[in-house]
Amino acid sequence: MLFQTQQFFLFLGVVLILFYSTPLGWRKYVLLAASYYFYMSWIPVFILLLLALTAIDYTAARWIERAESPKHRKTALVISLSANLGLLGFFKYYNFFAENIANLLHRPSNSFAMSIILPLGISFHTFQSMSYVIDVYRKEQEPIRNPIDYALFISFFPQLVAGPIVRAREFFKDLYAWRKPSTAEASQGILLLLLGLAKKTIMADQFAQIANAYFQDAGKHPGMLSAWSGTIAFGIQIYFDFSGYTDMAIGMAKLLGFHFPVNFRRPYLASSITDFWHRWHMSLSRWLRDYLYIPLGGNRGGTLKTYRNLMLTMLLGGLWHGANWNFIVWGGYHGALLSIERMFRRGKPEDDRWTLLYPVQAAATFALAMIGWVFFRAATFHDSLYVLGQMFAGASGEPLAIPKWMAPLALITLVLAVLEEKKGWFERIAIGPAWAYGAVCALLLLSVELIGFGGPAVPFVYFQF
Amino acid sequence: MTARLLATVVIFAGLEGLIFHSGLYARIIEPDSTTGFMEVQIQNEIRRPKLDHNQVLAVGHSRQALLPRIENEKKPGTGYTFATIGLGGTTPRTWYYALRAVDPHAHNYAAILIPEDDYNEADTWEDESERESDLHYLISRLRLRDLRDYPWTYKSATRRWTALEGIVLKGTVYRQDFQEFLDHPLARIAKAEYYRHDSAGWYYGFGGDARSLAGLEIDWTRRTASHFPVAVPEAEQKRIIAELFPGFPPDSGREVAYRLYWYRKILDYYHGSGTKIFFLRVPRAPTSPPEVPPNPNSAVRQLAGQPDVIVLDEHLLDPLERPELFWDALHVNREGMIRFTEIVAAEVRKALGPPRP
Repeated sequence: MLFQTQQFFLFLGVVLILFYSTPLGWRKYVLLAASYYFYMSWIPVFILLLLALTAIDYTAARWIERAESPKHRKTALVISLSANLGLLGFFKYYNFFAENIANLLHRPSNSFAMSIILPLGISFHTFQSMSYVIDVYRKEQEPIRNPIDYALFISFFPQLVAGPIVRAREFFKDLYAWRKPSTAEASQGILLLLLGLAKKTIMADQFAQIANAYFQDAGKHPGMLSAWSGTIAFGIQIYFDFSGYTDMAIGMAKLLGFHFPVNFRRPYLASSITDFWHRWHMSLSRWLRDYLYIPLGGNRGGTLKTYRNLMLTMLLGGLWHGANWNFIVWGGYHGALLSIERMFRRGKPEDDRWTLLYPVQAAATFALAMIGWVFFRAATFHDSLYVLGQMFAGASGEPLAIPKWMAPLALITLVLAVLEEKKGWFERIAIGPAWAYGAVCALLLLSVELIGFGGPAVPFVYFQF
Repeated sequence: MTARLLATVVIFAGLEGLIFHSGLYARIIEPDSTTGFMEVQIQNEIRRPKLDHNQVLAVGHSRQALLPRIENEKKPGTGYTFATIGLGGTTPRTWYYALRAVDPHAHNYAAILIPEDDYNEADTWEDESERESDLHYLISRLRLRDLRDYPWTYKSATRRWTALEGIVLKGTVYRQDFQEFLDHPLARIAKAEYYRHDSAGWYYGFGGDARSLAGLEIDWTRRTASHFPVAVPEAEQKRIIAELFPGFPPDSGREVAYRLYWYRKILDYYHGSGTKIFFLRVPRAPTSPPEVPPNPNSAVRQLAGQPDVIVLDEHLLDPLERPELFWDALHVNREGMIRFTEIVAAEVRKALGPPRP
């Protein structure tokens, strides 16, 4: 059940009606039932996996609380982390390692392969679950007494499949002190839903046609112009796809009285790669910082260790995205860029963004991010090298055939992004007069109707992670 | 919050209504698209001056071979004016709504001509009642009041929903056309304008395809062509054989039910208007196929006795089933169309009697 389908909107409508027509104490049961139904609409049997992980982490957290010795506390933590990482490792990484071991042993690459279907959202809900157990271990989070509450935290349908990765304390604050969304919050929720839908169907799915046409057989489109246009098309696709999903998730949560953290803050306006990572998939960056980078030592162990920690964090962040050398290289590429930036910026304060140099910095950051996307999108490392070769050493060639109306559309979104960055138009509209709000929502709806992708619903890119 | 939702709905409905339900967008549809061609045909017919009630209109698909010009040039002698809004790929559901569009008060025509491929109306592999393309043909002519019946003429829930959604949110049906419009808006507007002014003349002047299958021999027993003219390339030969011998599923009466429903709708629409509804069997193939026992329950045969229904002799056009009068397996060529027009017009005139003063 994809967010952009009529089926999902029907589901959401029914959930909202049931939620608000049920007594307060019963609402979490409505949400839990809806979340499990949503999850089971893909492959029902995987609900067992979700239930098992929920049970293990719920029990582990309670065990940590009750354990009398640090050793027992640690044992509970290790069991929980092993279960999460073990299942994630098996479903997501088994075939990757099996293939590499087979290659090392000079055997056919599928010698140890298994037919494994990746359970939906496993990378997200395991990270969310692990953060909870670690927080309990660190005594930063009280263990949750009611298993239903915990099950809802793990399975809450707006963010179950692709985040944002919500911290337990944020979620339970909303759950235990639930209050009806204000008019401004409900307005924002609906506007975010529509904005996300527009981002997905108008921008992401339309630009995906161009990116797919290029990356499915880059050799058919030789030349620098087609390589850059195919890569930029993918850059546009992945941003609008993922941030569209996130907007919808945050919007739905708002309508249900929950508050998710911001996950994207116009990353293509970033003035550096460091700034980019403060704006891109922020909930994952925060997770990696709190549960990986800082435990590794962060920037406390000297310059070299800081670079090592940065690289390790980004390499693992890359690997989190998928079991593929390309994702590791992508992570390594960003780790290297972050380290280089840190090296040159050491001791200097963050630049003021709106300087004369900003457009150059933003353009350079955008180009660097696009280069990274080549590894993210290309099917193999070899393909990535071919595309990069074309981008930097190819003949000029012909740009990909892009419908003429898509370039002005991309420009309009850039202007809207700059206006949002400087003026916060979105927030203004959400609390502005009804006619202005209605006009913006109506225009978004009309745009989805007319310039949204008309083919079969395209799954969100991050659903594969 | 209610005010905001209301504002959203009102503004959206206003924009949707202004652009699509007012007919504004219908003026700039790509004229060479399915919807655009249908709209051009309908607009041309609406604008065609009708000086008397002696108008004969042909509806139908690409095998409806009437050339109005051929007959109208004889008008001083015949008294009847012929016209056509036939369009390739259409079926009775489309014809009903097209008739309603060109004749909103059901009083424009003395006769309507409806083609049938075969009076037996055997089922084909395609269920015509489930054709989603009908929605695309008709979208600019469907009104909100059609929500009462149009969607429910489909059997499957998915098609019904698509039709319902399409009638309310016409942009979902126009989406592809609109995106192409955005690519070249000025050129599109100019093209639509050009078609609006000039296309009636082009279509009226259309003379048919000059190619011929003269020399083709069909072996109906062995279900193949025993001899092809030299000029027909191999790929075309294969297509001709496939079209001549499509194979039929077991007959469940589905096709009959579909046709009966829509023919009855057309008859009801013209009930009491004095308009005669003619059914005619088009030339079936470049050589006459073997006769099969007639299906007495076909829609045409069931309706044959009704007032204002005239079913032309099913063998009327058999003399045109000759390879030199066809340009492919299904369609008569220029010469075939001329003869078709002459034969059909003569029968219609005969059945209608002298024109009204």
